[in-house]
Amino acid sequence: MTVSAFSTASTIEPPPRPDPADPFETPNDAARRSFAAIVASLHGRTGKTLFARVLADYFLLSGHRPLVFDTDFTEQTLRASFPYDTVVADLSETRDQMMLFDTIAARSPEARVVDVSHYVFRKFFKVMQDCDFVSEARARGVEPVIFYIADRNADAYEEGRLLRERFADCALVLVENVFLGALKERTLRSAGYRAFESHDLCMMLPLLDPAVADAVQDSDISLSDMISQPLSRSDDASSGALTFEQRAEMRSWLMKVFRDIHRVTRAAESRAPQIVPVDSLI
Amino acid sequence: MKPVVLMVGADKGGVGKTTVSRTVLDYLKAKNTPVRAFDAEHPRGTLQRFHPDVTEIVDVTTASDQMRMIDTLSTSEIKVSLIDIRAGLLAETLDTLTEVGFFDLVNAGEFNFGLMHVVGSSVASLDEIAEVLPFMKGQHYFIVKNFINDTSFFEWNPAIYKNYFRGNNTAVEVTIPKLNEMAYEQVEISGIPFSDFVANRQTNGQAGNNSLVLRGYVRTWMRNITDEYDRVGLLDRLYDRTAAAA
Repeated sequence: MTVSAFSTASTIEPPPRPDPADPFETPNDAARRSFAAIVASLHGRTGKTLFARVLADYFLLSGHRPLVFDTDFTEQTLRASFPYDTVVADLSETRDQMMLFDTIAARSPEARVVDVSHYVFRKFFKVMQDCDFVSEARARGVEPVIFYIADRNADAYEEGRLLRERFADCALVLVENVFLGALKERTLRSAGYRAFESHDLCMMLPLLDPAVADAVQDSDISLSDMISQPLSRSDDASSGALTFEQRAEMRSWLMKVFRDIHRVTRAAESRAPQIVPVDSLI
Repeated sequence: MKPVVLMVGADKGGVGKTTVSRTVLDYLKAKNTPVRAFDAEHPRGTLQRFHPDVTEIVDVTTASDQMRMIDTLSTSEIKVSLIDIRAGLLAETLDTLTEVGFFDLVNAGEFNFGLMHVVGSSVASLDEIAEVLPFMKGQHYFIVKNFINDTSFFEWNPAIYKNYFRGNNTAVEVTIPKLNEMAYEQVEISGIPFSDFVANRQTNGQAGNNSLVLRGYVRTWMRNITDEYDRVGLLDRLYDRTAAAA
């Protein structure tokens, strides 16, 4: 799959619609909903981009080639060398807003993953609310799920609570990244944190050896290849900076995260309203 | 209920007068208030293009069309009539209406009358207001500042501005907020009411294929305008409901 067409800002266009002979498009698939995973955190350095990548690989492995949107126009951290389409969107441009939201709400078997940069956090959710995204997407068989990564600060939980209120009809998964350390005393006492005490869609990003995390972030190693190909001592040369043990650790970390993602996406799907085909919206 | 005549006018072209008329038609529709509209942009008819089902094109300078509008006010089942006055003809039209005794009827309590005067950002607009004010004594006068194209009204000196309104405390200021350019353009091209665009309908009533982002912009913008018309009590004033007196 070539992705170079989407890797530069000057060539932003809606990605091609899946052609009718797409191997994913079986009668079963057409009736199934596809996911639009929106990954966001209030601040930077929360592991958001790594998590977005893991989600994309989860969808890839589950047979739904994902379409990934990177909203960090300046850094473009989700690189085009991943084994799925990555589109960079500059949310300050109306044209890019249309490309992003119209594409993720379109009827298609592809999964969509949006990495919402903390620089455009407010802008993204404002446009999402203004365009009534949740019901528009749902009417086309696309189920939106917000993965909100809370950091250690009280304001992150407060913002998450506001987000949950604002998009009350959309599943919100609270993601806690163990790597970020223990919660501050002030955070534990905050109203925002307490509002999530009985929240039922939660998942944990388990601790990952920082050296492994860095190696994964800095390289273009395919996470899905790591899972789908047997672990072997002989392929050291092709796996970049990672040693055999590091790859083993990464693999077991991924399996844990995939299982959790599977659990929360199924839960989100089961509680979503039944699909009612709305022909007028196609 | 008394018949209501709501006039939308501007002395200058390009201030978005017809856009304001379109928002009023959508607003009235949302409030379940049937309305008939007269488009005085004879013979072209911009308003008619967007709202063909309720709009007739008229030439306000001819007696026959004046009769079509005014003589039917009390007989028409539809109580609200909106007249989109051709740009530059506002003062002249008010003169003509005075001549045919329209304001006598208004003053006698036969009809209610309101004017939405869409003004530009230049000082010349203040002169326009001065020209129109004598007609508006005791009437519902809405001064509409249209920001849809991002106009800034910085040229208006507040002191001078206030001075113009001395003795006419019924003047109400209405603000139309800015709408995203691409969204506005797309509705222009589609040639449909804003409300249809939001509902993703086409001219023929079929499902449209408009961007949900652009529809979102229009939806939010219309919501703000609805709040603004509610705030100034547009309908209450025209219906002489008690709230208007406050």
